[in-house]
This record gives sequence, structure tokens and C-alpha cells, in this order.
Amino acid sequence: MGRYVVRRLLQMIPVFIGATLLIFLMVNVMGDPIAGLCGERQCDPATAAQLKKEFGLDKPVWQQYLTYMGNVFTGDFGTAFNGQKVTELMATAFPVTIRLTLVAILFEIVIGITLGVVTGLRRGSPEDTGVLLLTLVVISVPTFVTGLLLQLLLGVKWGWIKPSVSPEATFGELILPGLVLASVSLAYVTRLTRTSIAENKRSDYVRTAVAKGLPRHRVVTRHLLRNSLIPVVTFIGTDVGALMGGAIVTERIFNIHGVGYQLYQGILRQNTQTVVGFVTVLVLVFLLANLIVDLLYAVLDPRIRYA
Amino acid sequence: MPEQPYEPEGAIAGTGMGGAMDLGASEAVTLEKTPGGPDGTGPAEKPRSLWSDAWRDLRRNPVFILSALVILFLVFISLWPGAITSGSPLTCDLAKAQQGSGPGAPFGYNGQGCNVYTRTVYGARTSVTVGVLATLGVAVLGSVLGGLAGFFGRSWDSLLSRTTDIFFAIPVVLGGLVLLSVVTSNTVWPVIGFMVLLGWPQISRIARGSVITAKQNDYVQAARALGASNSRLLLRHIAPNAVAPVIVVATIALGTYIALEATLSYLGVGLKPPSVSWGIDISAASPYIRNAPHALLWPSGALAITVLAFIMLGDAVRDALDPKLR
Amino acid sequence: MLLEVRDLHVEFRTRDGIAKAVNGVSYAVDAGETLAVLGESGSGKSVTAQAVMGILDMPPGRITGGEILFKGRDLLKLKEDQRRSVRGAEMAMIFQDALSSLNPVLSVGDQLGEMFVVHRGMSRKDARAKAVELMDRVRIPAARERVRQYPHQFSGGMRQRIMIAMALALEPALIIADEPTTALDVTVQAQVMDLLAELQREYRMGLILITHDLGVVADVADRIAVMYAGRIVESAPVHDIYKAPAHPYTRGLLDSIPRLDQKGQELYAIKGLPPNLLHIPPGCPFHPRCPMAQDVCRTDVPPLYEVSATRGSACHFWRECLHA
Repeated sequence: MGRYVVRRLLQMIPVFIGATLLIFLMVNVMGDPIAGLCGERQCDPATAAQLKKEFGLDKPVWQQYLTYMGNVFTGDFGTAFNGQKVTELMATAFPVTIRLTLVAILFEIVIGITLGVVTGLRRGSPEDTGVLLLTLVVISVPTFVTGLLLQLLLGVKWGWIKPSVSPEATFGELILPGLVLASVSLAYVTRLTRTSIAENKRSDYVRTAVAKGLPRHRVVTRHLLRNSLIPVVTFIGTDVGALMGGAIVTERIFNIHGVGYQLYQGILRQNTQTVVGFVTVLVLVFLLANLIVDLLYAVLDPRIRYA
Repeated sequence: MPEQPYEPEGAIAGTGMGGAMDLGASEAVTLEKTPGGPDGTGPAEKPRSLWSDAWRDLRRNPVFILSALVILFLVFISLWPGAITSGSPLTCDLAKAQQGSGPGAPFGYNGQGCNVYTRTVYGARTSVTVGVLATLGVAVLGSVLGGLAGFFGRSWDSLLSRTTDIFFAIPVVLGGLVLLSVVTSNTVWPVIGFMVLLGWPQISRIARGSVITAKQNDYVQAARALGASNSRLLLRHIAPNAVAPVIVVATIALGTYIALEATLSYLGVGLKPPSVSWGIDISAASPYIRNAPHALLWPSGALAITVLAFIMLGDAVRDALDPKLR
Repeated sequence: MLLEVRDLHVEFRTRDGIAKAVNGVSYAVDAGETLAVLGESGSGKSVTAQAVMGILDMPPGRITGGEILFKGRDLLKLKEDQRRSVRGAEMAMIFQDALSSLNPVLSVGDQLGEMFVVHRGMSRKDARAKAVELMDRVRIPAARERVRQYPHQFSGGMRQRIMIAMALALEPALIIADEPTTALDVTVQAQVMDLLAELQREYRMGLILITHDLGVVADVADRIAVMYAGRIVESAPVHDIYKAPAHPYTRGLLDSIPRLDQKGQELYAIKGLPPNLLHIPPGCPFHPRCPMAQDVCRTDVPPLYEVSATRGSACHFWRECLHA
């Protein structure tokens, strides 16, 4: 197990370097990294040259990347457009997005798995067909449309919630945004659970459990669910990284000042340091989430053994 | 997309060796899989292929028919939007801003006083163009790279796997924001280019997997043993069998690309006005959500139905092509 | 009588119509007795057993008639929770493929102990001790250590022993073994079968042994019931059948066993295929494959004729068959 973790960590290094380098190149080569530094105006050539020298932008890109990564590993993510340290931005933004992601994951687990189990146990019933159709619709409607519509209905028309979230972004305020962020994954979790349950329901070991005279709830929770949830847990685990990176749209709709908001601002203002810094952390989260899922797999399924 | 005529084992044997020139391989297949009725009473019925079976299934599937009709309609209005509208999507009259439905404007007017109906109809063209072209690009690039990696294996394969890992680590919307925010050209091409750039790894994984599976089939091994060249193996024996999963995933992906274009346009980095796109209109309508919700609802509905149609089509095709699910 | 199945009918709704899987099966097992139920796949032998256990998938399955008397009570009239307390505790089942029939993500100790936790209300710790005891009982070496292991860590024979241990856990009066040795290596088959027979004698349990393997039957069974197309076609004490079968189908089965003294001869095979349960032939369902079929066989369903006090045959020409 220990050796496996080490091997996986080593394998993550090239992916990490590749992904961050890709983003670094996109931002630096495609964009104009100093464009955002002179406010709304174009920089005049002399200032531009001065700024380029100051930020080391006159050096080759690979050297810039190495310098940047070197700084990152000492905890220096650079400064944002308004002179704030990127790490400070992160310290305010990440807790918000983590809360949002937690709410979303909770929805996936509670609603997604419940619906999946109910429909999987009653495949072909009217409830099943209805839920299946609903999941297709949810998957098809882009998140920003779902978000705007729910905001319109719950926030504007019925006044159940405030249409936008305060800077504190408490859990209570994040319920609707969390549901919107989760929506597509929620539909996938439902479908995945349903398929998995329906498949395992016909398995021999479930028949054995029934033949042992176990009560139905025990057959379902202890024998059927445990096996059926293995792929679902994998999906939800890998989704953590995707949700955090995908919160841009949701955070924009509900005006949440989290990671997505900072990234969006950073990109619009062409602030290299903010964008690359946040993306680096997101990539790291994504990779670690995948690693944890892999390890969790071994816990859930004793047949998997890591050498 | 590699549109090879599909010839599974049964068909080759039944039609008197479909590829008469390709003696070696077909013969091996014929010997292995001569179709016969139960207890050897000879060929009982006309041999059926995966595709004809799937087609028979699809024709009877109401979901398929419905989504295919929606898609045909979308293609029609993308080609000839003038057929069901009059006037230009760009003629707007601020005096009519936020008005409800009126003559010639069944969906009312948006915040800038543009005719929502006309704009919604014209928006289909953008979505269909982006969806189709991005899917074609992704499918071709993905299948070629994935197929070659799967076929040649070894270092090519691990190089591809690592590369796809890198792409998977970057959230799509984020990548789009970063790449497209610096683009000044206001055409569909940068959006399509970005989707191909970030979309190909998905298809390449599928293509790689199915090529590896197809490669291990006995008849491919037989053809190889009989000295068929690599290109012949790939094009004639492996590609036709590996193409089905790619088509299914690509159809579903087409829907998601349309959604992605709208999302990027909503975020302001996809297409920009004066282009006509559902994403732009939804974004423009969201500040007026209180007074003119219709300007938000119609393009949203059109977008949702379009994406739904492609995803349901892909779903139906997958069910038809995957005999295990029957 | 410990178990009496009377005129049981089971059908399945399928997309293509109603499949009549069991059509009036009757058989009985007494304590300490072994009944072998013999037949090809699709003959209804497993479906009958599942109906007895109450683990039939309903829907698509449906019991359309008959009685299942267990210790005098009709199981089909019991409520589900009463039925459940019978399952596992008073009658237990051993399945063919132990690898797929054991839960892959629970340790064998948990799966064995579960019987005591659920039916006897024992604590997990006591149940674990019981599990070790059971594993010793079915002669799994190093039970104390292996109780924590998972099914995939055992060999095929050891896994089937665990299935047997699970069935024996609460010392049920009846065990149904559905092809318990089919999935095993030939060398292990005999060991597992001997173990099962030995434990059955010891606990004086009734045993229903479902199999298509006549070789296994001869050693352990007291009676044989041969099934075809959801019916019992012959029912008799084991020696009577081996001496002279009273049904052409039984004869066909016996003739298709390879025998050492007939080396070099072509092996006998019953011609044709088992009937389609959606369209069972009229008359005697075996007539399309029967070498002795006459006109009457195509029209009249043969009842189970009484050949002797302990023997029955569903053949219009059982006499001719017996003396052929």
C-alpha cells in the first residue's frame, strides 16, 4: 500500500507539471501579462518594458515557469492586480468554494443516491421512468440555465431565498447555489446508482442473502448497497475536483466571492499571477482527490490489491 | 469520421465473402462463424449485422424518432432561418424593450428591444454549427490519436495516456475562459478550435479502448498471422469494429458542446455581440430577469431542447448498439 | 413428511409470452432422506427449489397453483416475515457457484456470523466465535485466522465448504443443494459431496440434491425424481432406476453416461433440444424426442402412472420401457 501511494504520487508529478505548464503557456503566451497592470489604458512602451523586466517577463517562458514554480513551493503565489497577495485572495476565496462544494457533494450523496436506489430497486416502474427522464433533462440543461431559472423562480418570483449570496456565504445561503452546482453530477449519480443497483440486485450473492432469511432492509443496506456504491463513490470522489473548478458559472450567477469569482476576475483583468496560482491549486486538488478515490477503492472492495 | 462500411463476421460469411480480395482474413472468419440454425439445419435466416439490428431497434424507438425529428428541424432552421422568420435578428428597437409578445414577435422583445423569436431561431445556426464542427474535429483527432496509440501500444500508448491525464486535470470551463479571453476574433472558429483542443482526449480514450479490444479478436490475430499489413489491419479489420463506441460518445458530446458554447458565450468569452447565440441572449436577458423573464426563457428553452435532443439521440443509439443492455 | 410439494405450478412472464416453468410438480422428502432431482437446464428443477425456499423473483415469476407443505404448514400461505424466519433457519440452500454466491466485500466470518446475529440475536463477537466453529466443522484449516478473509481468498472447494457451513449454521431440517459440485474440479467434487452427505447423516436433515449429473446421484441419493419440461416424469428409489428406468427420458439420461466397459463405442445422446417453455408440445412433452413415441403421446398428457408403491412414471408405455 505504501509503495503504491509513493508510485502514484510520482506519477502525479508529470501530470501536475504538464497541466500547470499548459495553463502557464496559455496565460503568458496567448495573453499579454502586463496588459492588466496599467489599469484600463494601454501601457506605453517604456513602462511596458520596465514592467516586463521587473516581472522577469523578458526571460524565456520556461525560465519564467521554473521561477514561478520555485516561488510557489516556498508559498509565494505572487500578487494580484490590486496589490493583494494571491495567497490572501485564496484564503478568502477557498473557504467559500469549499463550503459550496460540500453542499453540492451532500446533495449528490443524499438525493442522488436515494433516487438511484429507489429507482434501481423498482426498475420499469412509473417512478423510475419519471426520474430517468428528469435526469436526462437535468443533464441536458446547461448549469447556467438551471441556475438562472431557479434564481428566477425561488429568488425573484416566490421570494424563498435571496437571489444573491452575501460575502460571508454561509451554508444556509449556499443551499440553492450548491444544488445548482451539483445538478448535473446529481443526475449522473442517480443514473449510476440506479444501474449499479439494478445490476447487483440480480446477483447471486443477493439471492444468497435472501435465502439466508435476512430482512429486506438488511439485504439492501448491507449486501446490495455496499457493492453497488463502489462505482458511485469513485464518481463522487473524482467530482470534487471538477466541482471546485466548475464553480465559475454558479458563483457568477449567485454572485458568490469564491474561487470561480476570483478566477473570472483574474482572467478578465488578465492577471497572470491570480489565474495561474488558483489553477495550480485546483489541479493539485483534482489530482489528490483522484488519489484518495483510488485508495478508497481498496477499502471498499477487498478484491482490489495494490502492489 | 471513418465511415467504413461495417462488416461483422456473420455478414461476411453470408454474403459470399464481402471482401473477396481479402482472402486470408475473411476465410478465417468464414470458417469460424458460419451462421447456422440450431442443430445444424443450415442458415436459418438472413445474417444480420450490428448496424442493421441497431437500425431496426432505433426505428421503433419513440425517443429516437422524437429526438431525430427535433434535430432535423434544427438543421433546417439553421440552414434556412428565413423560412420561418421575417426580419433580421439584428434589427432592434429600444422603444420596444422588454415588451411582451406582439404581432410578428410571438416571444416578445428583450432588454435591447430585439425580437426574441427571430433571435432564438437564428441562434440555432450558431449552436448547430459549433456542435457539429467541434464534434467532427474531436472525433477525427481523438480517434486517430487514440486509435494509433491503442494499435501500436507501448511508448505511444503511455505518451497518450499521460497527455490525456494532463488535459483531464484542467476544468473545461476554466480552460475556455483562459484561452478564449484573449481571442479578439468574433467567429465560431476559436470556440470550435478550443473544443477540439480540450475535447479530443475524451474520444481518444474511447477509441484507444475499443481498438485494443478489437485488436485482440481472433479474426484480427488471424489476419495478422496471415501477413496483413498494419494499415490494412487498422482500416479494414479494426476501425469498423471500433467505430461504434466513438459514434455513441460523439453524439452525446455534440449536445454537451452546444451547451458549452452557450456557457462560454454566457460568460462573455465565447461568441460576442453582434453574433447571435443563445448563450449571449441568455446572458443579456439575465439582468432583466424581473421584468422580462420571457427574454430569458425562450432561448433557454431552445438551448435545453437542443442539447436534450442530441443527448437522447446518443442514448438511444447506445442502447441500440449495445446488445448487452437489451 | 418433512416437506411435501403438491401440484406446484410456476410461470414466468417474458417479453415473448408466458413461460410455463413448473407444471404440476409433486415430490416429498423426509428427515434424513436424500432426494435427487434430475434434469436438463430448463427442466424446472431449480425453479421448484426456489419456490420452496421462497426466493423466486416475483415478478417476473408467479406461483399459479399448488401447495408447499413444510412440517405440515403450507409455506405459500405464510406471511412474508413468517416465511423469512423459516428461510435460513429451518431450511437452507447451497448454490452452484460459491464465488458469485458469497458477497465479495464482506469477510466470510461476517457472512457466516450474520445468520446468528439475525436469527438468534447474538452479539457480533459471539457470532464470530460461532463462525469459526462452523468453519472447523466443515474442515477448513486454520479457521481462526481465515475467518477474517474474503471469499476470493479461498479456493473453489473451500468456498463451497463455506457455503455448506452457512447452510448448516442454524441446523436446519432441510437443505436444498442446487448443483453444489458442478463448478468444482473433479477431484474436489467427491470431497465436497462426501462432506455434505456426512453432515446430512449426522444432523438427520432432509436433503434435496439438484443435479444433472447421474454419477453423483448414485452414491448419495435415496430417491430420484426426474424432471422434464416442468414435470416429474419419473420418481423412484435410486436402485430401481439404475436397474431399469420406467421412462424413455430416464433411459436416455442413463445411456448418455460414458462407461468404461463400452470404450470405443459412440456415446449415446438424446436427440433434439429441450422444449421451449413458451410453447410446450401438446401431449407428452417428451414425444418429439422420444424413440418410443406413438400417436397417443402426441395428444394425451400422460399422468404419473403408479409403477409400484414407491415408484411412478409419466409415460404411456412405462411397461414397455421397463422391460426393454
